[in-house]
Amino acid sequence: MITIFDGAMGTMLQKAGLPPGDCPEAWNLQHRAAITKIHRTYIEHGAQIIETNTFGANRIKLSHYHRERQVDAINAAAVQAARAAAGPSIRIAGSVGPTGKFIAPLGDLGFDLACDVFEEQIRALDCAGVDMILIETIIDIQEMRAALRAAKKATAKPVICQMSFGDDGRTITGTDPQTAAVVLEAMGADIIGVNCSLGPAQLLPVVEQLAAAARCPISAQPNAGMPKLIGGETVFPMQAAEFGQWAPRLAAAGAAYIGGCCGTTPAHIAAAAQAVKGVAVRTRDVPMPILTLTSRTGSVAIPAGAAPVLIGERINPTGRKKLAADIKEGNFSSVKKEALAQIKAGAHILDVNMGVAGIDQTAAMQKAVEELSLLVAAPLSIDTSDARALEAALKAYPGRALINSVSAEPERLRDFLPLAKQYGAAILCLPLSEKGVPETAEERAELIQTIMDAAYAAGLRRQDFLLDGLVMTAATTSGAETLRALRLYRKRFGCPATMGLSNISYGLPGRPLINSTFLALSLASGLDAPILNPYDPAMRDTLAAAAAIMGHDKNGRRYSLQYGGAAAEPAPPANGDLLEQIRHTVVNGEKEAVAPLIRQALAEGRAPMELTDGALTAAMNEIGAAFSAGRCFLPQVLLAAETMREAFLTIKEVLPAQAGHTIGKVVLATVKGDIHDLGKNIVAALMENNGFQVIDLGKDVSADAIVEAVLSEQADIVGLCALMTTTMPQIDRTVALLKKSGCTAKTIVGGAVVTAEYAAQAGADRYAADGVNAVQIAKELL
Amino acid sequence: MKPAAFCPDLLEEACNEAQILAKPQGAWELYPYDAKTHIVDFFPPFHIKGEKIQHHLQDARQVAVLAVTIGAAIETSVHTYFKAGRYAYSLLLDAAGTAAVEAAADALNDVIDREARLRGYRTTWRFSPGYGDWDVRVQKKILRLAQAERIQLSATESYMLIPRKSITALIGFIPHPLSAPARVSHCAVCEQQNCLARKETEE
Repeated sequence: MITIFDGAMGTMLQKAGLPPGDCPEAWNLQHRAAITKIHRTYIEHGAQIIETNTFGANRIKLSHYHRERQVDAINAAAVQAARAAAGPSIRIAGSVGPTGKFIAPLGDLGFDLACDVFEEQIRALDCAGVDMILIETIIDIQEMRAALRAAKKATAKPVICQMSFGDDGRTITGTDPQTAAVVLEAMGADIIGVNCSLGPAQLLPVVEQLAAAARCPISAQPNAGMPKLIGGETVFPMQAAEFGQWAPRLAAAGAAYIGGCCGTTPAHIAAAAQAVKGVAVRTRDVPMPILTLTSRTGSVAIPAGAAPVLIGERINPTGRKKLAADIKEGNFSSVKKEALAQIKAGAHILDVNMGVAGIDQTAAMQKAVEELSLLVAAPLSIDTSDARALEAALKAYPGRALINSVSAEPERLRDFLPLAKQYGAAILCLPLSEKGVPETAEERAELIQTIMDAAYAAGLRRQDFLLDGLVMTAATTSGAETLRALRLYRKRFGCPATMGLSNISYGLPGRPLINSTFLALSLASGLDAPILNPYDPAMRDTLAAAAAIMGHDKNGRRYSLQYGGAAAEPAPPANGDLLEQIRHTVVNGEKEAVAPLIRQALAEGRAPMELTDGALTAAMNEIGAAFSAGRCFLPQVLLAAETMREAFLTIKEVLPAQAGHTIGKVVLATVKGDIHDLGKNIVAALMENNGFQVIDLGKDVSADAIVEAVLSEQADIVGLCALMTTTMPQIDRTVALLKKSGCTAKTIVGGAVVTAEYAAQAGADRYAADGVNAVQIAKELL
Repeated sequence: MKPAAFCPDLLEEACNEAQILAKPQGAWELYPYDAKTHIVDFFPPFHIKGEKIQHHLQDARQVAVLAVTIGAAIETSVHTYFKAGRYAYSLLLDAAGTAAVEAAADALNDVIDREARLRGYRTTWRFSPGYGDWDVRVQKKILRLAQAERIQLSATESYMLIPRKSITALIGFIPHPLSAPARVSHCAVCEQQNCLARKETEE
């Protein structure tokens, strides 16, 4: 039968006289009888589980009322108040709400501190005699992980984990119901559910998704609709009768426990209880125990025998000096670049190894996991042999990670398996023991059995295992045994298999060929999650071909698209006039192609002036015109300018004496008080590549400094820019000061907020709307 | 002529680098607001001036004041690349940084929206100093209201935010039965006729 929770506590407390702004939990101490009365009312209206008045009774929330030292007393009093109302058939759930802070790195609350805060409250509830713990209204999976970890540490009683989802179906930090279910079930949640934020109608799909993803029972405690503010009061509009009508639908969606959150009253609970009277808990198709890993925002399943799931191996500093040096310096940019590049190359899961000699691996691993979990949605595999580094990574990871790896060595089993259990991680089982490398497939399977037995004893489940075939170099050991091990695993255990492939070719020539051939053989033998370099073209080809052959790529459609010999891009005219080719190269922004053409032209005896006038300037004019007509955009103009620059640099390199020809001298500055300079830099670059000599004074330049530079440089043109209304008046000042100084240089002004009218009023000679326009005007002014 | 294709590889590279360099952080605070006197209940009281913003907040009972930044790393990189002659790339990276800080503001906006909904309010879209006729010189006060020192965000003497890729804004909390103004183009209430965003969105 469906079990009924109670409804809102807050609303009832207010009705009982709790003044706004007072600490609701303090009433457990001050007005215990009133709390008991509320519980009793809910029980009389059909609640079978009542929730203690302890939603905010953690020391962070209580500190807002200077009651952070009363955690034990308040929680104990709340349980007593509930117990006083409950008969023998009524169970008491100890309510645990959020701290109101985000866990680092999203916020400033450390994971350990969060665990500690929750553990303190949950111990108090446990000691006072609750029947179960209800962690509720949590909006961030990392806070829920901290609370659940604390609960599992503090009590053996059942733990219900209820998160709040938005109307986009995700929590505020992006977790979807399926991912939440996978993460929380792996960490030992006994019931998973949803409460608050939304009304029953909006919660229905969330309940369905939880029920499809979790094997445990599901709970749902909606609000009484979406709140409205009436006469300064928050009012939940859904009446009890309507609320009750939703209860059977929530049950049909898979909820076994139904109650109410904000705005629900005893009447709502009575209506719900009445509506599901005699309704049995829906028999759900319990999901297969399939290994699933998650990040904060998504899941990746690795079913045995399905399309291969790729584990990218490139976040590993072994043998890579640059990456190792960056990690050592605490610079994780290259780690993050590898992550993005591997995902682009098709990796589904990223292996993270911080094995750099002489560093604090724990700190590096934690930092890498934090940074990567903010950046990518792909789940991580934590590749370390250091238990401390592993724990730091598992704490920091807001999802379900893979531990790479757990061998049959007693120390490893002792240290790693409890961590896997506590943090809900899956394990990569590596058939190695203290006795060394097992030769035969049977020996490997035996070691896998040893690891799995120990893991089951530590509380892990069948869906927590990924089995490694163990790859040795083919130069010394036949790969056939590894392939046999894969087949044996599939038959004996049915769990998905993995392995790092590239070891096979160690010490052999033509490694890509060996690697990709071994990949093909392994896929056919039951390899589900190869650990590989996803950039390797031979591996990618083999994966594409294997997908077509094995039917994961239906009828080879993707394969055909990729390898079907699409018409090659027409090559640019290789012959034809050289000047024409240079012009074409600049217009197209082909920076790498221009230098050889310039060299060739100069070698043929063409004069630099001929190249400049006949090709380069013509090209810039052409792209400038295209820009002005809206046929291309600024990045394309800048690519052309970069190509021009390359061309000029090449001319300078070949004929140093010819450099230095300019058509005019320009002083550029962003005016005082303004620190924007990208726009001004763009103007400078375009001017330079159109033959002007540019003296760039930079940003935040005073009128005096500008006048001094213009006079001393005897500039032909002054370009001034301002980006904000607050700094624009500096243009007026500068122009006036220039005039006063007797300087004859022409002034061009521009910048986001500057207009032609403003320029005229400031006394400037011209207004330029953009960089291309500025170049045209400068040419006109000369 | 046929100009270069819109450099998809460069775009992707810039987006990736922006994601790598961005360090999004936000701060926000909620204050009671009196729409009749246009005063935010702060010490000292903060008087909101400007017809557009007053109109924007005409039904608001509370205002959330927020500040977000993605840090200074992207600007530094933009500068370095430009110096090295990678003009187009630095422009795209700068644009990606702008998109990143907007995305960060959107994320904080979602958190604020949720808080508002739970209390029975709807929210207005966010209104920043410098929009319309709201004088950008309120910037320093807004930073104080948002307690932006927590995220190391400050303003220069000329009211520019440092780091530059940052946003401050105000969101009104409107009692639920009153309908919040629909999300309109910010340009519709802005008086900056010559702004690039306007030119591009109105085309």
